[in-house]
Amino acid sequence: MKRFNYYKPRSLDEAWELKEKIPDALFIAGGTDILVGIKNGELYPPALISLRSIPELNSIKINGGAHIGALTTISDLIHHPALYNIYPVLVEAAKRLGSVQIRNVATIGGNLCNCSPCADMALPLLVLDAKVRLQTAKKNREIPIDEFFKGPGETNLTPNEILTGIVLESPRKSAKAIFLKKGRVRMDLAIASLAALMEMEGEKCQKARLAAGSVAPVPLRLFKVEAQLEGTTITDKLVAEAQQLAAESVAPITDIRATKEYRRQIVSVLVKRALKNILGWSQA
Amino acid sequence: MTNFHYIGKEASRPDGPDKAAGKAVYIQDLQRPGMLYGKIKFSDFPHARIKHIDTSKAERLTGVRAVITATNTPEIRLGFLRDNFALKKDKVRQYRDEIAAVAAIDPEIAEEAIELIKVEYEPLPGLFSPHEAMKEGAPLVHERDPQGNSRTDNLVPLQFHHESGDLEAGKRAAKHVVEGTFTTPMVQQCCMGTAGCIAEFDMNSNLTVWAKTQIPFLAQRDFNRALSDMGLAGKNARVIVPTLGGGFGSGLDTHCYEYIAILLAFRTGYPVKIVYTRAEEFANLSPRQSSTTKIIQGCDQNGKLTFRHVEVLQDNGAYTSWGATYPSVMMMPATSLYRISNVYFNAQLVYTNNTYCQAMRGYGNPEFTWALESNLDELAEEAGIDPFDFRMLNSNKPNETTPMGLKISTCGLKECLETVAQKLNWKKRYKKGKHRGKGLASLIHVGGGARIYRSDASGLILKLDDFGNVNVYHGGVEMGQGLHSVLTMAVAEALGVSSKRVLINPTDTGTCPWDVGTHASRGAFMACNAAILAANKLRDKIFGLAEVFYPQEVEKNLKKLKKKNPNYKPPDFDVIKAARRENFELQDGFIFIKDGPQESWLRLELARLLRAIHFRNQGQMFTTEVFYDPPNELPDFKKGFGNISATYAFGTQGAEVEVDTETGEVKILKMVAAHDVGKVLNPQALKGQMYGAIAQGIGYAFYEELLSKQGKILNPNFRDYKIPRVYEMNFPIELEFIESNDKFGPFGAKGVAEPGLVPTAPAIANAIYDAIGVRIHDLPITPDKVLAALKKLKQTKD
Repeated sequence: MKRFNYYKPRSLDEAWELKEKIPDALFIAGGTDILVGIKNGELYPPALISLRSIPELNSIKINGGAHIGALTTISDLIHHPALYNIYPVLVEAAKRLGSVQIRNVATIGGNLCNCSPCADMALPLLVLDAKVRLQTAKKNREIPIDEFFKGPGETNLTPNEILTGIVLESPRKSAKAIFLKKGRVRMDLAIASLAALMEMEGEKCQKARLAAGSVAPVPLRLFKVEAQLEGTTITDKLVAEAQQLAAESVAPITDIRATKEYRRQIVSVLVKRALKNILGWSQA
Repeated sequence: MTNFHYIGKEASRPDGPDKAAGKAVYIQDLQRPGMLYGKIKFSDFPHARIKHIDTSKAERLTGVRAVITATNTPEIRLGFLRDNFALKKDKVRQYRDEIAAVAAIDPEIAEEAIELIKVEYEPLPGLFSPHEAMKEGAPLVHERDPQGNSRTDNLVPLQFHHESGDLEAGKRAAKHVVEGTFTTPMVQQCCMGTAGCIAEFDMNSNLTVWAKTQIPFLAQRDFNRALSDMGLAGKNARVIVPTLGGGFGSGLDTHCYEYIAILLAFRTGYPVKIVYTRAEEFANLSPRQSSTTKIIQGCDQNGKLTFRHVEVLQDNGAYTSWGATYPSVMMMPATSLYRISNVYFNAQLVYTNNTYCQAMRGYGNPEFTWALESNLDELAEEAGIDPFDFRMLNSNKPNETTPMGLKISTCGLKECLETVAQKLNWKKRYKKGKHRGKGLASLIHVGGGARIYRSDASGLILKLDDFGNVNVYHGGVEMGQGLHSVLTMAVAEALGVSSKRVLINPTDTGTCPWDVGTHASRGAFMACNAAILAANKLRDKIFGLAEVFYPQEVEKNLKKLKKKNPNYKPPDFDVIKAARRENFELQDGFIFIKDGPQESWLRLELARLLRAIHFRNQGQMFTTEVFYDPPNELPDFKKGFGNISATYAFGTQGAEVEVDTETGEVKILKMVAAHDVGKVLNPQALKGQMYGAIAQGIGYAFYEELLSKQGKILNPNFRDYKIPRVYEMNFPIELEFIESNDKFGPFGAKGVAEPGLVPTAPAIANAIYDAIGVRIHDLPITPDKVLAALKKLKQTKD
């Protein structure tokens, strides 16, 4: 492990200032990925700039929609008094991230910025059409979350930019969503995971959102499956086609957790179970 | 049936409160004045010649006190076949080979120094499977044997062979024959506490090692030999065992890191501590061997087994540990689980450039029973007999001698089978298409020590003090399994004192008598038998001296009582006449006369008697020493014959599962385990052993596999190497204990530490077969293997 300096700014301005001075420094939130990387010798930044003591990053505001500060811990998402009622799928995914100890320090923003294909928080945010707020000292922008992920460990962030928060719109009453995850054991990085959301009007699907984890270089929106479902009356046959399309849309790899063939199979099964659950046809 | 005061009753563990409060001192916590931190430079290649080692930069780093290599230290050989070296000189044979080591004032500097050591290699072709290593013309892992003779192949020079009866006749008599090949992976012991030690020399060059070991006395012998190699012949190594966070077989050998700490401590003159990180533990501590077992069994038309043919191939890795003698244990179920008369068994171990392997709980038995009990279900199906009926028909019975010469005294196997069948509602089977099934598997294991060394003995000292406390000195190791709990109970029970008065002292070769080691499920069996012997010796001495001193002391009691209560009329009882050694009883710390009047003044506190005998001219103290050696034999493993254990443990486990045929996931609905434990000593401790073992069995069945590619461990952490957590153990486990009251067992008890994980995986695999009709041959049973097997089944049906 290489030695590094550690900074704990009290404001965003101070954080950007430090980053200007030490361009190779890394912003750090919970540290559950970065510190592991440093200890394993995969990362060796000269300095870490912790964002944990910046108050404005650390809040959940509910106001029609919601603004979730990037430094909100996963445990705080789970224990928030109102969040579950509005965005149950987000909290269900949060419950499946890591262990209690990890959830107590890991943050929602950190989980996104680490940009792992298996990031548990990415999937519910993708199906909720979340936006992420990215800020530098000079510029402030909001982009749809599906534009945020570029590749494994690679995001849309420019060098000095900080992900400060996640913006969610108020969901429609008719929207129902679900998060499903398969690991080798329950507490594991996903072999494959899926979030799905549908807005139904009678028999018809008005809107469909599906996102899959651990089956592509980034957390993946399944646009083709969404397009196929929207505006249709969902039947068993259509679900089978959606499964097929989902399996074709993903590009999994073989690693020590699972083979690519198995991952493809699991995505297909998860699509079926998610859709049938949302439609009330069966328990997932 | 004896009435016990402690045995068989719930008792908390003496080591429990300190562990729960974080006060127990593990090797991680232990500090010595002036202590330095050692770190090891491991190989960068699985097989290579070492051309040059440059340690100059590391030596110049501030805070570094010593850098050692094979060239600047004496050669220390180790291992079961002495084929390993503490530091490697000419060649590395596995990724974890130790090339150099440093001692520094803190762990970070030590780590930095390691990174500054540069090694030049000449890579050699590697061998990563026994099959590759057995090919003609394969490169040699060891060019020479430890005696210096040239080697021509990669076979480990150990023979494990058994032939009994008439195999050909057995084959002719068979109406049904089933053959299968089954494999098991390397798995890690996954102790909560990682490996480590502190080595310290005094100014007389005597050595103390605080070691995470299960064999303090064999370690002492090994370390004394190392001292001799270092030019310190005649100096003594003292081994002290701190609190251990698990052993599971990983402490059955001495390890290179221990010798390296010794070399660094001698070089620097300061205590040196080496503790493995979790990643080092995974990559550099020896796991359980992988195995391939080819098994053929046959039975006659009635289902009676007629023969068994077994060939085992094991990947030894680059060096040889005690774990290489796994086949000595495999031979036991191969020849003796179920009644069988025509047996062929042969095991071959092969050197490769993979990590070398060592002992782990069960010691070959889980590997072999996986093959045997899976194959037995296949044979039962072939014969058209229910798997339960098939096992009952062939079950072992008490008072039999098996083909290996195992003398089975008590045997509760039939009761175990019946109990599991009843608890699983065996005869009520699920309909096809429900994807639910039930499965069974049984086991035999050593339950009365295991003589795999010249001595299988265990010494014990009891020392009574003036306050009525009993100090116990025993060479066995408490590593979390609960040995001290049952030893406390055994001493209290056998001697007749309160268990609160029993104090178990730390295991230390300097104070405790010799014990071969805590392995082979022998800890409680040996320690409690030794405790009974010692207690009986002490009672003899106490009762003998009490003939004189008891009447004196109770006379004082009576005087006091009369003074207090002048009207008291003592019963008509001649104390002096009654005070004969055979009339005394000692219970709960009070000595009294059996069948005497129940007067309180006749109940004499043991401590008072001891003081009366101690504090006088020509006084005496009460310390006794025993050496219990069980009635078993060191088998001839080349012939595969000998009664290795004084008694044998049996058991059956049953599983009920549901398979998700879309994902291949297997959900356990229920596990039932019935074990012949001889006698329950401490119900809570026994349940703990069994639950823990079943969890480890579940890990073996579904999750655990130490993956390696070209000799490199791919999953050296708990993110990538999965063991079951509480979420995975979310099903009921019903335990039943069969008490067969073995005549050799302490209070009737047999060893129980390992049996709990032996039949778990095959019971589950048999249940999966019952549920969906696919047979998994290779552990672990992962969802993709289940799906692949289902796909194949569908193809053959179509």
